[in-house]
Amino acid sequence: MSSKSLTAEYLKGLWDENPVFRQLLGMCPVLAVTNAVINGIAMGLAASFVLILSSVVVASIKKLIPAQVRIASYIVVIATFVTIADRVMAAYFPPISKALGPYVPLIVVNCIILGRQEAFSSRNSVGRALIDALGMSTGFILALLILSSIREVLGAGTFLGYQVMGPWFKPWIIMILPAGAFITLGILLGIALAIEQRTRRGRA
Amino acid sequence: MDLLMLFIAAIFVQNYVLYYFLGICPFLGVSKRIDSAVSMGMAVTFVMTITAVVSWMINHWILIPFKLDYLQIVSFILVIAALVQLVEMFIRKISPPLYQALGIYLPLITTNCAIMGLALLTALRNYNFIHAVIFGVGSGLGFTLAIVLMASIREQLDLADVPEPLKGAGIALIVAGIMALAFTGFSGMIT
Amino acid sequence: MSLSARMIFVLTMVGLISGSLLSVVGLLTTERIELNRLREIEAAITVVIPGTVTSVKLYEEEKFTVYAGQDGEGMALGYAVYASGTGFQDIIKLMFGTDPAIQRLNSLTILEQKETPGLGAKITDALAFLRFWEKKDLSRPLTLRKPAAGSPEELATSEINTITGATISSEKVLQMVNLSLERLRVIKQEGKLGKEE
Repeated sequence: MSSKSLTAEYLKGLWDENPVFRQLLGMCPVLAVTNAVINGIAMGLAASFVLILSSVVVASIKKLIPAQVRIASYIVVIATFVTIADRVMAAYFPPISKALGPYVPLIVVNCIILGRQEAFSSRNSVGRALIDALGMSTGFILALLILSSIREVLGAGTFLGYQVMGPWFKPWIIMILPAGAFITLGILLGIALAIEQRTRRGRA
Repeated sequence: MDLLMLFIAAIFVQNYVLYYFLGICPFLGVSKRIDSAVSMGMAVTFVMTITAVVSWMINHWILIPFKLDYLQIVSFILVIAALVQLVEMFIRKISPPLYQALGIYLPLITTNCAIMGLALLTALRNYNFIHAVIFGVGSGLGFTLAIVLMASIREQLDLADVPEPLKGAGIALIVAGIMALAFTGFSGMIT
Repeated sequence: MSLSARMIFVLTMVGLISGSLLSVVGLLTTERIELNRLREIEAAITVVIPGTVTSVKLYEEEKFTVYAGQDGEGMALGYAVYASGTGFQDIIKLMFGTDPAIQRLNSLTILEQKETPGLGAKITDALAFLRFWEKKDLSRPLTLRKPAAGSPEELATSEINTITGATISSEKVLQMVNLSLERLRVIKQEGKLGKEE
Protein backbone atom coordinates (compact mmCIF):
# COMPACT_ATOMS: atom_id res chain seq x y z
CA MET A 1 0.00 0.00 0.00
CA SER A 2 1.21 3.44 -0.84
CA SER A 3 1.15 5.92 2.03
CA LYS A 4 1.53 9.17 0.10
CA SER A 5 -1.09 11.91 0.33
CA LEU A 6 -3.56 11.83 -2.54
CA THR A 7 -2.18 15.06 -3.98
CA ALA A 8 1.34 13.62 -3.99
CA GLU A 9 -0.03 10.46 -5.57
CA TYR A 10 -1.38 12.55 -8.44
CA LEU A 11 1.58 14.89 -8.80
CA LYS A 12 4.22 12.17 -8.99
CA GLY A 13 3.01 11.25 -12.49
CA LEU A 14 3.67 14.76 -13.75
CA TRP A 15 7.38 14.90 -13.02
CA ASP A 16 9.06 12.55 -10.51
CA GLU A 17 7.65 9.43 -12.16
CA ASN A 18 6.65 10.90 -15.51
CA PRO A 19 6.11 7.81 -17.67
CA VAL A 20 7.91 9.19 -20.71
CA PHE A 21 10.64 11.50 -19.44
CA ARG A 22 11.56 9.67 -16.25
CA GLN A 23 10.53 6.03 -16.77
CA LEU A 24 11.11 5.82 -20.56
CA LEU A 25 7.88 3.87 -21.01
CA GLY A 26 5.44 3.92 -23.91
CA MET A 27 7.96 5.35 -26.35
CA CYS A 28 6.43 3.94 -29.56
CA PRO A 29 3.31 6.15 -29.64
CA VAL A 30 5.27 9.08 -28.26
CA LEU A 31 7.57 8.98 -31.27
CA ALA A 32 5.08 7.84 -33.88
CA VAL A 33 2.08 10.13 -33.54
CA THR A 34 3.64 13.42 -32.43
CA ASN A 35 4.09 14.90 -35.91
CA ALA A 36 1.00 17.05 -35.27
CA VAL A 37 -0.43 18.38 -32.00
CA ILE A 38 -3.93 17.10 -32.74
CA ASN A 39 -2.63 13.53 -33.19
CA GLY A 40 -0.63 13.80 -29.97
CA ILE A 41 -3.68 14.94 -28.01
CA ALA A 42 -5.91 12.25 -29.52
CA MET A 43 -3.39 9.54 -28.70
CA GLY A 44 -2.97 10.95 -25.17
CA LEU A 45 -6.72 10.91 -24.55
CA ALA A 46 -7.16 7.40 -25.97
CA ALA A 47 -4.33 6.01 -23.84
CA SER A 48 -5.66 7.85 -20.76
CA PHE A 49 -9.13 6.40 -21.29
CA VAL A 50 -7.65 2.90 -21.34
CA LEU A 51 -5.28 3.48 -18.43
CA ILE A 52 -7.88 5.05 -16.11
CA LEU A 53 -10.63 2.50 -16.73
CA SER A 54 -8.24 -0.48 -16.62
CA SER A 55 -6.75 0.74 -13.33
CA VAL A 56 -10.19 1.13 -11.74
CA VAL A 57 -11.33 -2.30 -12.94
CA VAL A 58 -8.11 -4.04 -11.92
CA ALA A 59 -8.13 -2.39 -8.49
CA SER A 60 -11.75 -3.45 -7.92
CA ILE A 61 -11.32 -7.09 -8.93
CA LYS A 62 -7.78 -7.63 -7.63
CA LYS A 63 -8.89 -9.83 -4.70
CA LEU A 64 -10.80 -12.22 -6.98
CA ILE A 65 -7.90 -12.99 -9.29
CA PRO A 66 -5.40 -15.74 -8.42
CA ALA A 67 -1.82 -14.50 -8.75
CA GLN A 68 -0.92 -17.05 -11.44
CA VAL A 69 -3.41 -15.70 -13.96
CA ARG A 70 -3.27 -12.03 -13.05
CA ILE A 71 -1.22 -10.89 -16.08
CA ALA A 72 -3.52 -12.72 -18.48
CA SER A 73 -6.56 -11.15 -16.82
CA TYR A 74 -5.03 -7.66 -16.90
CA ILE A 75 -4.24 -8.07 -20.59
CA VAL A 76 -7.84 -9.03 -21.36
CA VAL A 77 -9.15 -6.05 -19.39
CA ILE A 78 -6.75 -3.68 -21.16
CA ALA A 79 -7.45 -5.18 -24.60
CA THR A 80 -11.19 -4.74 -24.02
CA PHE A 81 -10.87 -1.02 -23.32
CA VAL A 82 -8.42 -0.56 -26.19
CA THR A 83 -10.91 -2.15 -28.58
CA ILE A 84 -13.65 0.15 -27.32
CA ALA A 85 -11.41 3.22 -27.81
CA ASP A 86 -10.38 2.04 -31.28
CA ARG A 87 -13.91 1.29 -32.49
CA VAL A 88 -15.41 4.49 -31.09
CA MET A 89 -12.68 6.58 -32.74
CA ALA A 90 -13.13 4.80 -36.08
CA ALA A 91 -16.90 5.30 -35.92
CA TYR A 92 -17.09 8.90 -34.73
CA PHE A 93 -13.73 10.51 -35.55
CA PRO A 94 -12.65 8.81 -38.79
CA PRO A 95 -9.98 11.35 -39.85
CA ILE A 96 -8.11 11.08 -36.53
CA SER A 97 -8.51 7.32 -36.46
CA LYS A 98 -6.97 7.19 -39.93
CA ALA A 99 -4.07 9.44 -38.95
CA LEU A 100 -3.24 7.33 -35.88
CA GLY A 101 -3.58 4.06 -37.82
CA PRO A 102 -2.36 0.97 -35.99
CA TYR A 103 -1.06 3.00 -33.05
CA VAL A 104 -4.45 3.02 -31.30
CA PRO A 105 -4.69 -0.81 -31.15
CA LEU A 106 -1.03 -0.79 -30.14
CA ILE A 107 -1.98 0.91 -26.85
CA VAL A 108 -2.63 -2.66 -25.72
CA VAL A 109 1.12 -3.33 -25.56
CA ASN A 110 1.97 0.08 -24.15
CA CYS A 111 4.20 -0.71 -21.18
CA ILE A 112 2.81 2.20 -19.15
CA ILE A 113 -0.60 0.59 -18.89
CA LEU A 114 0.34 -2.97 -17.99
CA GLY A 115 3.14 -1.57 -15.82
CA ARG A 116 0.76 0.52 -13.70
CA GLN A 117 -1.59 -2.45 -13.20
CA GLU A 118 1.23 -4.67 -12.01
CA ALA A 119 3.04 -2.04 -9.96
CA PHE A 120 0.16 -0.06 -8.52
CA SER A 121 -3.50 -0.93 -9.18
CA SER A 122 -3.11 -4.54 -8.07
CA ARG A 123 -1.82 -3.39 -4.67
CA ASN A 124 -3.85 -0.30 -3.87
CA SER A 125 -7.45 0.78 -3.27
CA VAL A 126 -9.72 1.78 -6.13
CA GLY A 127 -9.51 5.46 -5.18
CA ARG A 128 -5.73 5.49 -5.09
CA ALA A 129 -5.51 3.53 -8.34
CA LEU A 130 -7.77 6.13 -9.96
CA ILE A 131 -5.65 9.05 -8.70
CA ASP A 132 -2.46 7.29 -9.82
CA ALA A 133 -3.90 6.60 -13.28
CA LEU A 134 -5.05 10.23 -13.59
CA GLY A 135 -1.57 11.44 -12.66
CA MET A 136 0.19 9.11 -15.09
CA SER A 137 -2.27 10.05 -17.84
CA THR A 138 -1.66 13.75 -17.27
CA GLY A 139 2.08 13.12 -17.37
CA PHE A 140 1.74 11.13 -20.59
CA ILE A 141 -0.46 13.76 -22.28
CA LEU A 142 1.96 16.45 -21.14
CA ALA A 143 4.88 14.63 -22.75
CA LEU A 144 2.96 14.10 -25.99
CA LEU A 145 1.89 17.74 -25.99
CA ILE A 146 5.43 19.07 -25.49
CA LEU A 147 6.92 16.83 -28.17
CA SER A 148 4.16 17.37 -30.73
CA SER A 149 4.16 21.16 -30.19
CA ILE A 150 7.89 21.38 -30.85
CA ARG A 151 7.61 19.14 -33.91
CA GLU A 152 4.57 20.81 -35.44
CA VAL A 153 5.73 24.39 -34.87
CA LEU A 154 9.23 23.81 -36.20
CA GLY A 155 8.29 21.22 -38.81
CA ALA A 156 5.26 22.86 -40.35
CA GLY A 157 5.15 26.36 -38.85
CA THR A 158 1.68 25.65 -37.48
CA PHE A 159 0.09 24.84 -34.12
CA LEU A 160 -3.08 22.72 -34.22
CA GLY A 161 -3.20 23.59 -37.91
CA TYR A 162 -3.07 27.38 -37.40
CA GLN A 163 -0.14 29.28 -38.89
CA VAL A 164 2.00 30.61 -36.03
CA MET A 165 5.25 31.36 -37.80
CA GLY A 166 5.58 34.35 -40.13
CA PRO A 167 6.09 34.05 -43.89
CA TRP A 168 9.88 34.32 -43.35
CA PHE A 169 9.86 30.89 -41.71
CA LYS A 170 10.98 27.92 -43.76
CA PRO A 171 9.61 24.71 -42.14
CA TRP A 172 12.20 22.24 -40.88
CA ILE A 173 10.83 19.19 -42.65
CA ILE A 174 13.16 16.89 -40.72
CA MET A 175 11.12 17.58 -37.56
CA ILE A 176 8.07 15.84 -39.06
CA LEU A 177 10.12 12.91 -40.36
CA PRO A 178 10.92 9.95 -38.07
CA ALA A 179 14.44 11.35 -37.57
CA GLY A 180 13.04 14.51 -36.00
CA ALA A 181 11.03 12.46 -33.51
CA PHE A 182 14.08 10.58 -32.26
CA ILE A 183 16.34 13.61 -32.05
CA THR A 184 13.76 15.86 -30.32
CA LEU A 185 12.89 13.21 -27.75
CA GLY A 186 16.60 12.51 -27.15
CA ILE A 187 17.27 16.18 -26.44
CA LEU A 188 14.15 16.48 -24.23
CA LEU A 189 15.27 13.47 -22.18
CA GLY A 190 18.65 15.13 -21.72
CA ILE A 191 17.02 18.37 -20.60
CA ALA A 192 14.72 16.52 -18.19
CA LEU A 193 17.67 14.68 -16.68
CA ALA A 194 19.71 17.88 -16.43
CA ILE A 195 16.89 19.64 -14.55
CA GLU A 196 16.50 16.65 -12.25
CA GLN A 197 20.23 16.51 -11.51
CA ARG A 198 20.35 20.24 -10.75
CA THR A 199 17.37 20.14 -8.37
CA ARG A 200 18.75 17.06 -6.62
CA ARG A 201 22.06 18.83 -6.14
CA GLY A 202 20.13 21.84 -4.82
CA ARG A 203 18.31 19.66 -2.29
CA ALA A 204 21.46 17.89 -1.09
CA MET B 1 9.37 -9.56 -58.07
CA ASP B 2 6.50 -8.32 -56.00
CA LEU B 3 7.66 -10.46 -53.10
CA LEU B 4 11.28 -9.33 -53.36
CA MET B 5 10.16 -5.70 -53.31
CA LEU B 6 7.99 -6.30 -50.26
CA PHE B 7 10.93 -7.99 -48.56
CA ILE B 8 13.39 -5.19 -49.31
CA ALA B 9 10.85 -2.53 -48.37
CA ALA B 10 10.27 -4.18 -45.00
CA ILE B 11 14.00 -4.18 -44.24
CA PHE B 12 15.13 -0.80 -45.55
CA VAL B 13 12.40 1.59 -46.65
CA GLN B 14 9.79 0.96 -43.99
CA ASN B 15 12.22 -0.18 -41.37
CA TYR B 16 10.35 -1.46 -38.36
CA VAL B 17 12.20 0.64 -35.80
CA LEU B 18 13.25 3.68 -37.79
CA TYR B 19 10.07 4.21 -39.80
CA TYR B 20 7.23 2.66 -37.78
CA PHE B 21 8.78 3.22 -34.33
CA LEU B 22 7.90 -0.31 -33.29
CA GLY B 23 10.04 -2.26 -30.86
CA ILE B 24 11.65 0.84 -29.37
CA CYS B 25 11.96 -0.69 -25.88
CA PRO B 26 14.28 -3.58 -26.86
CA PHE B 27 15.95 -1.30 -29.42
CA LEU B 28 17.07 1.01 -26.62
CA GLY B 29 17.33 -1.61 -23.88
CA VAL B 30 19.27 -4.45 -25.52
CA SER B 31 21.56 -2.46 -27.81
CA LYS B 32 24.53 -1.95 -25.50
CA ARG B 33 26.52 -4.91 -26.89
CA ILE B 34 26.63 -6.41 -30.36
CA ASP B 35 26.32 -10.09 -29.38
CA SER B 36 23.20 -9.56 -27.27
CA ALA B 37 21.74 -7.34 -30.01
CA VAL B 38 22.25 -10.15 -32.54
CA SER B 39 20.51 -12.65 -30.22
CA MET B 40 17.62 -10.28 -29.61
CA GLY B 41 17.28 -9.64 -33.33
CA MET B 42 17.22 -13.38 -34.04
CA ALA B 43 14.63 -14.02 -31.33
CA VAL B 44 12.40 -11.25 -32.68
CA THR B 45 12.74 -12.43 -36.29
CA PHE B 46 11.86 -15.96 -35.20
CA VAL B 47 8.77 -14.94 -33.22
CA MET B 48 7.69 -12.46 -35.89
CA THR B 49 7.71 -15.10 -38.60
CA ILE B 50 5.56 -17.42 -36.50
CA THR B 51 3.29 -14.54 -35.50
CA ALA B 52 2.77 -13.57 -39.13
CA VAL B 53 1.63 -17.12 -39.92
CA VAL B 54 -0.58 -17.60 -36.87
CA SER B 55 -2.19 -14.16 -36.87
CA TRP B 56 -2.95 -14.52 -40.57
CA MET B 57 -4.68 -17.83 -39.94
CA ILE B 58 -6.71 -16.45 -37.03
CA ASN B 59 -7.73 -13.43 -39.04
CA HIS B 60 -8.67 -15.25 -42.24
CA TRP B 61 -10.04 -18.49 -40.87
CA ILE B 62 -11.84 -17.29 -37.72
CA LEU B 63 -12.26 -13.54 -37.35
CA ILE B 64 -13.27 -12.62 -40.92
CA PRO B 65 -15.56 -15.60 -41.73
CA PHE B 66 -17.46 -15.19 -38.45
CA LYS B 67 -17.45 -11.35 -38.59
CA LEU B 68 -15.65 -11.14 -35.27
CA ASP B 69 -13.27 -8.35 -36.27
CA TYR B 70 -14.01 -6.50 -33.03
CA LEU B 71 -12.23 -9.33 -31.19
CA GLN B 72 -9.06 -8.77 -33.22
CA ILE B 73 -7.05 -6.95 -30.56
CA VAL B 74 -7.99 -9.33 -27.73
CA SER B 75 -7.36 -12.47 -29.74
CA PHE B 76 -4.06 -11.27 -31.22
CA ILE B 77 -2.59 -10.28 -27.86
CA LEU B 78 -3.64 -13.51 -26.16
CA VAL B 79 -2.36 -15.65 -29.00
CA ILE B 80 0.95 -13.83 -29.08
CA ALA B 81 1.39 -14.25 -25.32
CA ALA B 82 0.60 -17.96 -25.56
CA LEU B 83 2.78 -18.36 -28.63
CA VAL B 84 5.83 -16.87 -26.98
CA GLN B 85 5.37 -19.23 -24.02
CA LEU B 86 5.10 -22.21 -26.36
CA VAL B 87 8.13 -21.19 -28.38
CA GLU B 88 10.10 -20.79 -25.18
CA MET B 89 9.13 -24.28 -23.91
CA PHE B 90 9.74 -25.79 -27.33
CA ILE B 91 13.23 -24.33 -27.71
CA ARG B 92 14.14 -25.37 -24.19
CA LYS B 93 13.25 -28.98 -25.03
CA ILE B 94 14.69 -29.14 -28.53
CA SER B 95 17.86 -27.11 -28.37
CA PRO B 96 19.38 -26.10 -25.03
CA PRO B 97 22.18 -24.09 -26.71
CA LEU B 98 19.66 -22.04 -28.68
CA TYR B 99 17.67 -21.58 -25.49
CA GLN B 100 20.80 -20.33 -23.77
CA ALA B 101 21.26 -17.79 -26.54
CA LEU B 102 17.66 -16.61 -26.98
CA GLY B 103 15.93 -17.71 -23.79
CA ILE B 104 16.14 -14.61 -21.66
CA TYR B 105 14.92 -12.44 -24.51
CA LEU B 106 11.78 -14.41 -25.27
CA PRO B 107 9.68 -13.28 -22.27
CA LEU B 108 10.63 -9.69 -23.08
CA ILE B 109 9.09 -10.11 -26.50
CA THR B 110 5.52 -10.76 -25.31
CA THR B 111 4.74 -7.15 -24.53
CA ASN B 112 6.88 -5.95 -27.39
CA CYS B 113 4.90 -3.69 -29.68
CA ALA B 114 6.90 -5.00 -32.64
CA ILE B 115 5.10 -8.35 -32.56
CA MET B 116 1.62 -6.95 -31.97
CA GLY B 117 2.34 -4.29 -34.59
CA LEU B 118 3.21 -6.98 -37.11
CA ALA B 119 -0.06 -8.83 -36.52
CA LEU B 120 -2.04 -5.58 -36.83
CA LEU B 121 -0.23 -4.30 -39.92
CA THR B 122 -0.62 -7.64 -41.70
CA ALA B 123 -4.36 -7.56 -41.00
CA LEU B 124 -4.69 -3.87 -41.89
CA ARG B 125 -3.00 -4.29 -45.27
CA ASN B 126 -4.94 -7.37 -46.28
CA TYR B 127 -1.83 -9.33 -47.21
CA ASN B 128 -2.30 -12.81 -48.61
CA PHE B 129 -0.58 -15.69 -46.84
CA ILE B 130 2.74 -15.61 -48.73
CA HIS B 131 2.96 -11.82 -48.47
CA ALA B 132 2.29 -12.02 -44.74
CA VAL B 133 5.13 -14.49 -44.22
CA ILE B 134 7.58 -12.47 -46.33
CA PHE B 135 6.53 -9.31 -44.49
CA GLY B 136 7.11 -11.07 -41.16
CA VAL B 137 10.61 -12.27 -42.05
CA GLY B 138 11.55 -8.96 -43.67
CA SER B 139 10.33 -6.92 -40.70
CA GLY B 140 12.26 -9.15 -38.32
CA LEU B 141 15.45 -8.75 -40.35
CA GLY B 142 14.86 -5.00 -40.53
CA PHE B 143 14.60 -4.91 -36.75
CA THR B 144 17.79 -7.01 -36.47
CA LEU B 145 19.65 -4.70 -38.84
CA ALA B 146 18.62 -1.61 -36.87
CA ILE B 147 19.44 -3.03 -33.44
CA VAL B 148 22.82 -4.48 -34.52
CA LEU B 149 23.85 -1.20 -36.19
CA MET B 150 22.75 0.63 -33.06
CA ALA B 151 24.75 -1.68 -30.82
CA SER B 152 27.90 -1.30 -32.89
CA ILE B 153 27.59 2.48 -32.71
CA ARG B 154 26.94 2.40 -28.97
CA GLU B 155 30.01 0.27 -28.32
CA GLN B 156 32.08 3.05 -29.89
CA LEU B 157 30.03 5.68 -28.09
CA ASP B 158 31.25 4.37 -24.73
CA LEU B 159 34.61 5.91 -25.52
CA ALA B 160 33.15 9.28 -26.50
CA ASP B 161 32.76 12.25 -24.21
CA VAL B 162 28.96 12.55 -24.05
CA PRO B 163 27.46 15.36 -21.90
CA GLU B 164 26.34 13.92 -18.56
CA PRO B 165 22.52 14.35 -18.92
CA LEU B 166 22.49 12.83 -22.41
CA LYS B 167 24.23 9.61 -21.35
CA GLY B 168 22.18 6.47 -21.88
CA ALA B 169 18.77 6.89 -23.50
CA GLY B 170 19.23 10.52 -24.59
CA ILE B 171 22.22 9.99 -26.85
CA ALA B 172 20.84 6.64 -28.01
CA LEU B 173 17.72 8.39 -29.31
CA ILE B 174 19.77 11.08 -31.05
CA VAL B 175 21.90 8.38 -32.71
CA ALA B 176 18.68 6.60 -33.74
CA GLY B 177 17.50 9.89 -35.26
CA ILE B 178 20.64 10.17 -37.39
CA MET B 179 20.22 6.52 -38.42
CA ALA B 180 16.59 7.22 -39.38
CA LEU B 181 17.80 10.13 -41.47
CA ALA B 182 20.29 7.87 -43.25
CA PHE B 183 17.57 5.28 -43.88
CA THR B 184 15.40 7.97 -45.49
CA GLY B 185 17.88 7.64 -48.34
CA PHE B 186 16.38 4.24 -49.14
CA SER B 187 12.94 5.68 -49.87
CA GLY B 188 11.93 5.68 -53.49
CA MET B 189 13.98 2.61 -54.35
CA ILE B 190 10.86 0.44 -54.44
CA THR B 191 8.77 0.64 -57.58
CA MET C 1 -12.61 -24.61 -4.89
CA SER C 2 -9.15 -25.82 -5.83
CA LEU C 3 -6.67 -23.32 -7.17
CA SER C 4 -6.71 -24.53 -10.77
CA ALA C 5 -10.51 -24.59 -10.82
CA ARG C 6 -10.51 -21.03 -9.51
CA MET C 7 -7.96 -19.99 -12.14
CA ILE C 8 -10.06 -21.44 -14.93
CA PHE C 9 -13.24 -19.94 -13.48
CA VAL C 10 -11.74 -16.44 -13.21
CA LEU C 11 -10.25 -16.52 -16.70
CA THR C 12 -13.52 -17.77 -18.19
CA MET C 13 -15.47 -15.04 -16.42
CA VAL C 14 -13.04 -12.33 -17.49
CA GLY C 15 -13.19 -13.65 -21.05
CA LEU C 16 -16.99 -13.88 -21.06
CA ILE C 17 -17.53 -10.39 -19.68
CA SER C 18 -15.00 -8.88 -22.06
CA GLY C 19 -16.38 -10.84 -25.02
CA SER C 20 -19.97 -9.81 -24.42
CA LEU C 21 -19.01 -6.18 -23.80
CA LEU C 22 -17.06 -6.15 -27.05
CA SER C 23 -19.83 -7.73 -29.07
CA VAL C 24 -22.12 -4.91 -27.93
CA VAL C 25 -19.50 -2.33 -28.91
CA GLY C 26 -18.97 -4.21 -32.20
CA LEU C 27 -22.70 -4.13 -32.97
CA LEU C 28 -22.95 -0.45 -32.15
CA THR C 29 -19.98 0.67 -34.24
CA THR C 30 -19.60 -1.70 -37.21
CA GLU C 31 -22.39 -0.14 -39.23
CA ARG C 32 -21.10 3.36 -38.69
CA ILE C 33 -17.51 2.46 -39.55
CA GLU C 34 -18.67 0.84 -42.80
CA LEU C 35 -20.81 3.90 -43.51
CA ASN C 36 -17.80 6.21 -43.01
CA ARG C 37 -15.83 4.17 -45.53
CA LEU C 38 -18.59 4.23 -48.13
CA ARG C 39 -19.23 7.91 -47.60
CA GLU C 40 -15.57 8.72 -48.18
CA ILE C 41 -15.58 6.84 -51.49
CA GLU C 42 -18.88 8.41 -52.56
CA ALA C 43 -17.55 11.87 -51.79
CA ALA C 44 -14.46 11.16 -53.88
CA ILE C 45 -16.59 9.93 -56.81
CA THR C 46 -18.59 13.16 -56.76
CA VAL C 47 -15.32 15.07 -56.94
CA VAL C 48 -13.84 13.16 -59.89
CA ILE C 49 -17.11 12.83 -61.86
CA PRO C 50 -18.88 16.18 -61.43
CA GLY C 51 -22.67 15.96 -61.34
CA THR C 52 -22.79 12.41 -59.97
CA VAL C 53 -25.98 11.67 -58.05
CA THR C 54 -25.70 7.90 -57.70
CA SER C 55 -22.73 5.60 -58.12
CA VAL C 56 -22.46 1.85 -58.73
CA LYS C 57 -19.51 -0.45 -58.20
CA LEU C 58 -18.85 -2.17 -61.54
CA TYR C 59 -15.68 -4.13 -61.04
CA GLU C 60 -13.30 -4.96 -58.22
CA GLU C 61 -9.92 -6.61 -57.91
CA GLU C 62 -6.98 -6.16 -55.58
CA LYS C 63 -5.79 -2.53 -55.59
CA PHE C 64 -8.20 -1.59 -58.39
CA THR C 65 -11.93 -0.79 -58.24
CA VAL C 66 -14.14 0.77 -60.90
CA TYR C 67 -17.29 2.75 -60.13
CA ALA C 68 -19.76 4.28 -62.54
CA GLY C 69 -21.18 7.72 -61.82
CA GLN C 70 -24.73 8.47 -62.94
CA ASP C 71 -26.80 11.63 -62.92
CA GLY C 72 -30.35 11.93 -61.56
CA GLU C 73 -31.89 10.16 -64.58
CA GLY C 74 -29.49 7.23 -64.50
CA MET C 75 -27.42 8.49 -67.44
CA ALA C 76 -23.79 7.33 -67.26
CA LEU C 77 -21.45 10.26 -66.65
CA GLY C 78 -18.19 8.32 -66.57
CA TYR C 79 -15.95 5.94 -64.67
CA ALA C 80 -14.27 6.54 -61.35
CA VAL C 81 -11.23 4.37 -60.69
CA TYR C 82 -10.00 3.76 -57.16
CA ALA C 83 -6.42 2.46 -57.16
CA SER C 84 -3.67 1.94 -54.63
CA GLY C 85 0.06 1.44 -55.02
CA THR C 86 3.41 2.20 -53.46
CA GLY C 87 4.62 5.77 -53.53
CA PHE C 88 7.96 7.19 -52.44
CA GLN C 89 7.71 5.60 -49.02
CA ASP C 90 4.36 4.03 -48.33
CA ILE C 91 0.95 3.31 -49.82
CA ILE C 92 -0.88 5.89 -51.93
CA LYS C 93 -4.62 5.49 -52.51
CA LEU C 94 -6.11 7.67 -55.21
CA MET C 95 -9.19 8.07 -57.36
CA PHE C 96 -9.61 9.61 -60.81
CA GLY C 97 -12.58 10.07 -63.07
CA THR C 98 -12.92 9.74 -66.85
CA ASP C 99 -15.72 10.29 -69.37
CA PRO C 100 -17.67 7.18 -70.50
CA ALA C 101 -15.45 6.81 -73.60
CA ILE C 102 -12.23 6.99 -71.51
CA GLN C 103 -11.01 9.83 -73.71
CA ARG C 104 -10.83 12.54 -71.09
CA LEU C 105 -9.61 12.66 -67.50
CA ASN C 106 -11.86 14.86 -65.35
CA SER C 107 -9.71 15.15 -62.27
CA LEU C 108 -7.69 13.31 -59.65
CA THR C 109 -7.99 13.11 -55.89
CA ILE C 110 -5.72 11.50 -53.31
CA LEU C 111 -7.48 9.54 -50.57
CA GLU C 112 -4.54 8.33 -48.54
CA GLN C 113 -0.79 8.92 -48.60
CA LYS C 114 2.20 8.98 -46.27
CA GLU C 115 4.69 10.81 -48.47
CA THR C 116 7.33 13.15 -47.05
CA PRO C 117 5.54 16.09 -45.39
CA GLY C 118 6.21 19.34 -47.22
CA LEU C 119 7.56 17.58 -50.33
CA GLY C 120 5.89 14.42 -51.62
CA ALA C 121 2.82 15.11 -49.49
CA LYS C 122 2.10 18.01 -51.86
CA ILE C 123 0.37 15.44 -54.10
CA THR C 124 -2.75 16.23 -52.02
CA ASP C 125 -2.29 19.96 -52.61
CA ALA C 126 -4.70 21.45 -55.16
CA LEU C 127 -2.50 24.43 -55.96
CA ALA C 128 0.77 22.53 -56.29
CA PHE C 129 -0.39 19.35 -57.98
CA LEU C 130 -4.04 18.41 -58.40
CA ARG C 131 -5.11 21.39 -60.52
CA PHE C 132 -2.62 20.24 -63.16
CA TRP C 133 -4.66 17.05 -63.55
CA GLU C 134 -7.91 18.63 -64.63
CA LYS C 135 -9.42 17.95 -68.08
CA LYS C 136 -6.61 15.92 -69.63
CA ASP C 137 -6.62 14.28 -73.03
CA LEU C 138 -6.36 10.49 -72.74
CA SER C 139 -5.85 9.59 -76.40
CA ARG C 140 -2.14 9.24 -75.56
CA PRO C 141 -0.54 8.06 -72.28
CA LEU C 142 -0.03 10.94 -69.87
CA THR C 143 3.53 12.25 -69.53
CA LEU C 144 5.34 14.27 -66.91
CA ARG C 145 6.49 17.88 -67.53
CA LYS C 146 9.94 18.45 -66.09
CA PRO C 147 11.02 21.04 -64.98
CA ALA C 148 7.66 22.06 -63.63
CA ALA C 149 5.45 24.50 -65.47
CA GLY C 150 4.01 27.48 -63.61
CA SER C 151 0.36 27.20 -64.59
CA PRO C 152 -1.97 24.56 -66.14
CA GLU C 153 -2.19 26.60 -69.36
CA GLU C 154 1.49 26.05 -70.12
CA LEU C 155 1.08 22.25 -70.22
CA ALA C 156 0.22 20.21 -73.29
CA THR C 157 -3.17 18.46 -73.19
CA SER C 158 -1.69 15.13 -72.07
CA GLU C 159 1.02 16.55 -69.82
CA ILE C 160 1.09 16.48 -66.02
CA ASN C 161 3.18 18.78 -63.86
CA THR C 162 6.02 17.61 -61.57
CA ILE C 163 6.23 18.77 -57.97
CA THR C 164 9.61 20.45 -57.52
CA GLY C 165 11.60 18.38 -55.00
CA ALA C 166 9.23 15.42 -55.21
CA THR C 167 9.78 14.02 -58.67
CA ILE C 168 9.45 10.41 -57.52
CA SER C 169 6.09 10.95 -55.80
CA SER C 170 4.79 12.71 -58.93
CA GLU C 171 6.09 9.90 -61.13
CA LYS C 172 4.54 7.19 -58.95
CA VAL C 173 1.13 8.83 -59.08
CA LEU C 174 1.42 9.20 -62.86
CA GLN C 175 2.46 5.55 -63.20
CA MET C 176 -0.50 4.40 -61.10
CA VAL C 177 -2.93 6.44 -63.20
CA ASN C 178 -1.47 5.27 -66.54
CA LEU C 179 -1.47 1.62 -65.47
CA SER C 180 -5.03 1.87 -64.13
CA LEU C 181 -6.18 3.47 -67.38
CA GLU C 182 -4.69 0.60 -69.36
CA ARG C 183 -6.41 -1.89 -67.09
CA LEU C 184 -9.68 0.01 -67.32
CA ARG C 185 -9.61 -0.14 -71.13
CA VAL C 186 -8.79 -3.86 -71.09
CA ILE C 187 -11.64 -4.81 -68.80
CA LYS C 188 -14.00 -2.55 -70.72
CA GLN C 189 -13.01 -4.35 -73.92
CA GLU C 190 -13.65 -7.68 -72.22
CA GLY C 191 -17.14 -6.44 -71.39
CA LYS C 192 -16.59 -6.79 -67.65
CA LEU C 193 -17.96 -3.32 -66.95
CA GLY C 194 -21.49 -4.52 -67.64
CA LYS C 195 -23.89 -2.66 -69.87
CA GLU C 196 -22.53 -0.54 -72.72
CA GLU C 197 -23.68 3.04 -72.81
